[in-house]
Amino acid sequence: MSYSELVKRIPRPMYTLLSERLLDALLEAKDGGNVPSSLAKTILYYAQRDRLASDAGLINLLRALNMADSPKVITILDELGLEEIKQAMSSIER
Amino acid sequence: MRSFGIEFVPMELFWRTTYYSIQAEKLGYDNIWITDHFNNRNVYVSLGVIANYTDRIKLGTGVTNPYLVHPVMTAQSIASLNEVAPGRVVCGIGAGDRTTLEIVGNEMKAPLRTVREAVEVIRRQLAREKEGYEGRMFRTSPGARFNFKVQKNIPIYIGAQGPKMLRLAGALGDGALINASHEDDIREAVKQIKSGAEKAGKKMDEVDVTAYTSFSVAEKEKSARKPVVPVVAYIVAGSPSIILEKHDIPIEVAEQIRNDLANRKWGEAFGAVNSDMIDTFAVCGTPDQCIEKIEVLFKTGITQFVTGSPLGPGVRSSIDLFGSEVLPHFKEST
Repeated sequence: MSYSELVKRIPRPMYTLLSERLLDALLEAKDGGNVPSSLAKTILYYAQRDRLASDAGLINLLRALNMADSPKVITILDELGLEEIKQAMSSIER
Repeated sequence: MRSFGIEFVPMELFWRTTYYSIQAEKLGYDNIWITDHFNNRNVYVSLGVIANYTDRIKLGTGVTNPYLVHPVMTAQSIASLNEVAPGRVVCGIGAGDRTTLEIVGNEMKAPLRTVREAVEVIRRQLAREKEGYEGRMFRTSPGARFNFKVQKNIPIYIGAQGPKMLRLAGALGDGALINASHEDDIREAVKQIKSGAEKAGKKMDEVDVTAYTSFSVAEKEKSARKPVVPVVAYIVAGSPSIILEKHDIPIEVAEQIRNDLANRKWGEAFGAVNSDMIDTFAVCGTPDQCIEKIEVLFKTGITQFVTGSPLGPGVRSSIDLFGSEVLPHFKEST
């Protein structure tokens, strides 16, 4: 499964909350240096345009946090009750 | 005029500092100041990236120094940055930190003269003056002119703590960056800046008088005070005896903190920081407490308040809290 397909399964009303939680975790992640510069710049592009809570914003946030702190992605999805997404994360194509 | 700046130390990955800058701009801050220390990420690279992801906010060095970077290079860097963010660039310059300079074998010789000459060289370079400059610390030949034109004026702020440097900042700077957090220290600094400005035939409204504070905000007072402890330990350790005596801080306590920091005994050093030291060297508390303290500081005559490190227990949440609960109080009242 791709990140794009994964994000399509996330209920729209959860977008804002999920993007906030992913961003918070990304800013605090110990292995933030694992995030490639190009991906980080894409996230900044969406942040500048207030579009992190969009399909593209979430795709990039999920991808980045999965590189910086993958267990945290699972924790966040779990805490937000996104069980199906959590299960689907294991089949994500890195 | 009341404006607000935020300081970032580029210790973190570039995209984190840049994200916080985007956040600060959206919340209504007016200035971003990036520190310049050789052991952190480069100030101009940081500012260049921030310039690309912001549209309105002013950007500047807070502060660079003329001992590690020759003023022609400072002029070149800010002029280049000004092409990326026209009209948004400011240059903060000061004598630097003696301890940091000594690490790389640089002596802080004649700081007043060095800063004054550096500012003169920077201004001449930005204006593409044909004549060279003959100072005691710096010298340029007529051929040192830029090969490109500089768009718009670039204000120069002088970072200062002692009375002579503060007077120089008033006389020579478009702005003065006061390195202090306590009301009494800032009031005294404003007096010195005014004296310098008046002697130079300038009006005070020609100088953006900026308090560059150690700052922390959180919903709970205790949470706001905790993060400033390490910062205050370093400030106490680096403060001249005249400042320590003024605030009834025993010199031997400051020396002990200095030794503990040098020996990396963080627990001892930070444990020696008491509540009075925090109130002297930091502006911190709940949003309401911060509003009260900042109001008092504006009454001393400052025109810009800078929230410096550590900002709070969490950078993003503290910027949000400041932007949503403190800034509106001042922005709506002006």
